[in-house]
Order: sequence, then C-alpha cells, then structure tokens
Amino acid sequence: MSLELFHSQVLPIRPKLFRFAFRLLNNEEDAKDIIQDALLKVWHQQERMPELQNMEAWCMRIVRNLALDKLKARAYRNTEGLDRAGEMQAVQQQSPHLAAEQQDVMGRVHRIISALPEKYRTIIQLRDMDGFSYQEICDILDLTLSEVKINLHRARKTVREQLQNLHVYGLQ
Amino acid sequence: MDYNKIRSLLEKYWEAATSLEEEARLRDFFVRHQHPLPDDLREAAPLFRYCQLEMDRELPAVPEQEARVLPISKAWPWQHWMKYAAVLLIMAGIGFGLRQQRIKHGQLIAAEFGEDTYKDPEVAYKETQKALQLLARNLNKGTAQMEKLSYFNEATEKVKAASY
Repeated sequence: MSLELFHSQVLPIRPKLFRFAFRLLNNEEDAKDIIQDALLKVWHQQERMPELQNMEAWCMRIVRNLALDKLKARAYRNTEGLDRAGEMQAVQQQSPHLAAEQQDVMGRVHRIISALPEKYRTIIQLRDMDGFSYQEICDILDLTLSEVKINLHRARKTVREQLQNLHVYGLQ
Repeated sequence: MDYNKIRSLLEKYWEAATSLEEEARLRDFFVRHQHPLPDDLREAAPLFRYCQLEMDRELPAVPEQEARVLPISKAWPWQHWMKYAAVLLIMAGIGFGLRQQRIKHGQLIAAEFGEDTYKDPEVAYKETQKALQLLARNLNKGTAQMEKLSYFNEATEKVKAASY
C-alpha cells in the first residue's frame, strides 16, 4: 500500500475508529493509544490491501481486537463509563425535577448497556449509536448476517427486559 | 405518528428486523414525543433517547499531528564516516602487525643460518681470542677451587686408612 493510499483511505476514517475505540474503552487516552497501534498494524499489513473488499471494516476489526486485548490485559473495569453516565445531559429539560429524573434514567440505560456481554454491547453500539448497516457489522465483527441479527435481537431483548424492570418501578 | 405504526415498528426493532431508516423514525418519535406515552410504548423510550444522546455526544478530537507520516530520511554514505574510519584503522593495525611479524621471522631465520657477526677477520680473530681467554681464565678459577677439594679428599682417605 502506498503512502498516498494510506492517506486517502485509512487516515480519513480515524475519527470513526477513535469513536469506536472510545465507546469500547470509555477512556480517551486508551482510545488514542489503540488508534495509534491500529494504524501501525494496518501499515505493517499493507500487502493485504489489494485483497480487502472493505477497508473500513478491516480497520474497525483491528481496532476492536486491540481494544479487547487491552480490556483483557488490564482487567478493565468500566467504572469510568458509569461515572460518566451521571454527567449526561437529559433531553428536553423542562424542569429541574424532570431533568434530574431523565438524567437518572439515562444513567440506568447506560449501566444496562455497559453490563451486556461484550459481543452484544458492541453490536448495539455499532447499530444503534454508530448507525452501521447489518452488512457493515458483519464485516467488522467477522460474523454472518444471521449471526449479527440473532445477536442483535438477543442484545435488544436483554435491554428490553431490563427496561421493563425500570418501568415497573415507575420510571419513564 | 400513529401509535399502531410505532408499535409494529417497535416489534420489528426488538426482532432486529428494522432498517436504518425505520430505526431513525423510531428514534425521532421517542425523542420528540412530549405527551405521556401508552404503557406498552413507554419501556422503549429511554433506550431511543439514550441512543440519540450517544449519537449527538461530542467526543474528544483526535489530535491531527498524530496523523503525520514522517518520511524516512535517506542516509548518505558520508554520514557514516566514523564507521569507515574505524574499519580503515583496524585494517591498518592488522597490516602493521603482520608486517612486524614477517620482519621478526626474517631476522630469526638469518640468525639461524648464519651471517657472520664480524666482517673484518682481524677483528673476529681478536674477539675470538678474547672470548677464549675469558673461558680459560674462568676454567682455571674453577680448577683452583677443585684443588682445595682434593685436599679434603686426601685427608679423608688418610683417616679411613688409619681407622682400618
């Protein structure tokens, strides 16, 4: 892969890669490190470039693998994300009371999603927050279409059950 | 939007059968809806609002300077002059050592297979005489000491003879 190709195809997707890494790790510095490592890895594997159909998905897959390695290596605790949940701004703040309630609900949803198994969490993030198509998720996670749909269905089902519990306690 | 349409879309959503456009419509509905929702729709509202918040969230920017790819500077031959100097020095040292060894070896061979020490026969004769005289003198010194020993021998012989 030439330097021009690297500049034109890989560097423009850095913000997207960073966003993905940041969501997985919930830590800015770690996400930056992961992006650096991923770009190096892409550069070192430049001979694979011609056989790749989806460059972006390949880069995302590298980022995901590196992020998972980091999570395993550091026995990462996703507490930063939980702390951050409290900082979320509620939508349509009509009154302080309503705003506080909505902020609390957002924090609970964040905890529900963070508590999902890694595969479910990643699929929900890719689909519902990053807006990737099913096919793109297949390429990124190296899964078949039916596997992606099944995992997404299970992930949403788990979230739904948890949300129903919230609803039982009177929150909306 | 009609609640029934939302219900059917929501069912598709939970089954992971919605398209991106349908999911965007659902998100839009739940984020914008102001009035109290029917019970069966209420459970989904926090999830869609959370997703919208996450989509809108400003993430820290990736520093631009990290994207720079530094060109590899070409190393010119004269940038390594110390290496070349060291190699030359080592080669000169080895050459000098070999030359010294060869000279020493030549001298040893010459000494063994005899060139004369003196070119002038007269001088050689005199030096030989001197050397022989020195030898004779020292030999005589030795024999003089041996004569003293012979006195003791004679004395011991006499004592032996007398004791028998």
